[in-house]
Amino acid sequence: MLSVQQVGKSFGGLAALSDVSFGVSPGEIKAVIGPNGAGKTTLFHLISGLLRPSAGRIEIAGRAVTGLSAVQIARLGVARTFQQPQIFRTLTVLENVMLGGHRSGRSGLLACGLGLPAARAEEHRLADAAREQIDFTGLAGSAGRIASELPLGQQRYVEIARALATGATLLLLDEPAAGLDDTETGQLSELVRRIRARGVTVLLIEHHMDFVMGLADSVLVLNFGVRIAEGTPQSIRESQAVIDAYLGTTEDA
Amino acid sequence: MNVASALFTGTGQSWNSVRVLLLAAALLALPQVFGQGYYLNTLNFVAVLALPAIGLSLLSGMCGQLAISHGAFFAIGAYGSAILNVRLALDPLLATVLTQAIVAVVSAAIGWVVLRLRSHYLAIATLSFSIIVEVLIKEWPRLTGGQQGMTGIPPYQLGPLQLGSDAAVYYVYWPVTLLMFWFALNLAQSRIGRVLRAIREGEPVVDSLGISVARHKAMIYIVSSVFAGLGGSLYAHFVGFVTPATGSIMFAIDIIMVLALGGFDRLWGALVGIALITLLNEYALGFADYKRIILGAGLVSVMLVFPRGLLPGLFDLGRRHLRGTAK
Repeated sequence: MLSVQQVGKSFGGLAALSDVSFGVSPGEIKAVIGPNGAGKTTLFHLISGLLRPSAGRIEIAGRAVTGLSAVQIARLGVARTFQQPQIFRTLTVLENVMLGGHRSGRSGLLACGLGLPAARAEEHRLADAAREQIDFTGLAGSAGRIASELPLGQQRYVEIARALATGATLLLLDEPAAGLDDTETGQLSELVRRIRARGVTVLLIEHHMDFVMGLADSVLVLNFGVRIAEGTPQSIRESQAVIDAYLGTTEDA
Repeated sequence: MNVASALFTGTGQSWNSVRVLLLAAALLALPQVFGQGYYLNTLNFVAVLALPAIGLSLLSGMCGQLAISHGAFFAIGAYGSAILNVRLALDPLLATVLTQAIVAVVSAAIGWVVLRLRSHYLAIATLSFSIIVEVLIKEWPRLTGGQQGMTGIPPYQLGPLQLGSDAAVYYVYWPVTLLMFWFALNLAQSRIGRVLRAIREGEPVVDSLGISVARHKAMIYIVSSVFAGLGGSLYAHFVGFVTPATGSIMFAIDIIMVLALGGFDRLWGALVGIALITLLNEYALGFADYKRIILGAGLVSVMLVFPRGLLPGLFDLGRRHLRGTAK
């Protein structure tokens, strides 16, 4: 599904990521963990095309996407959420999610401006499809609300619904559980499993260890821009390199 | 009561049609009630000037891109029509259509270069473009008549009907303006309008949904410029002359102030704002002389009382009042 090969990114000589390689198989839930500044969000920016890698190669579904723009990569079926939820604040929840499905519509400038029946019918289809995603993510009561009025946790769900509405096959979630309490985290885990059950591959960044360990099929650990471990949650929990990265080595102490 | 309040607050393209048709009916009835007075001439100016204001509302209000080129495109519309008509003897209607094609091409070229820049750079780049247009108009007398401008631009000829009187112009220009207004209202509530509003909120996110921000910004810049250009053409064939003051940079700034006054993100605000200013200009004694001072002071006061603009502010006030009396 996703293959990252020896990818590096430096900002003016400072390496944020170097020589990172890993793969995500179709239908997998993979987590990326690591201390702050490990390069996790940079990695997401590279995969989604917001930044271009300085080195290496990224393939999505067997297709090289290195150097493609964010728009082109999104059109290949990659959708993402952001660490700080990036919703369209003055639009309603429904409008936010309809934007996810925008590309399934065809009406052009004239059809829209003249309010042609075809454009109106398409608008209804878009709204119906968006409502499905809104129900799926459990936001049913909020469809008509202005998105910025929702609490932060629900704004994340708006982002997820919008991402799903694009019809993406690879979903990148950047710290979806940040700021959630235990009950909410549990609901989120359940949602991510349901997303996977729909055939969507999930790659997520998270600090919340219980969430990651209970949900992910495999875990990638980054530290200072370098891959230090990859494997099942169980093997990561027992890895000395990971424990050192998080707690510091005895020599440092 | 329900229908009345839905008339103001109802969303959807059907309500657009209802409101615009009601306005059309009112405008149609006006000469029947008040006769064909000089006020029709003033209302014709409202019809003409509303077009650049509506265009700018689409671009700046809805999509958040501030351009100062609407005066320049109004000028290109007016001069394009004048030159094709007076120098090349084309029919006014044909001249108007060709001029809009020129406006579309020029704005597409500018949009291509400039819309990669973020908004305040866009303002500066379109200001530069306006200065170039103004200089060209003044310094190319063989084409544009230079400082003297051009006179003798004939009115439109629609079959046997010549738009020679204020009343004839009124009955043709207002339907055109209302049609364009209706188009803009529909566009605002369509999938394209939704993308434009999303662009105002956050460009990288729109891109991340696979929707090209650059393409949509260029599209609305062209549409918006053609609105201004069409206003310019209608103006030239209405007043019969053009001068370098037609569509100057101050004209562009006036329109921006009108939008700020009427409410940037409301297309109705653009129409109400332009009508208000044009009527004051004509009927309030001394207003024209002190226009910019009064407009400036008015704008500051409105911004202090209603930060979102006059029309949205009055709407909020009305809603609060209604809620108060309902209790």
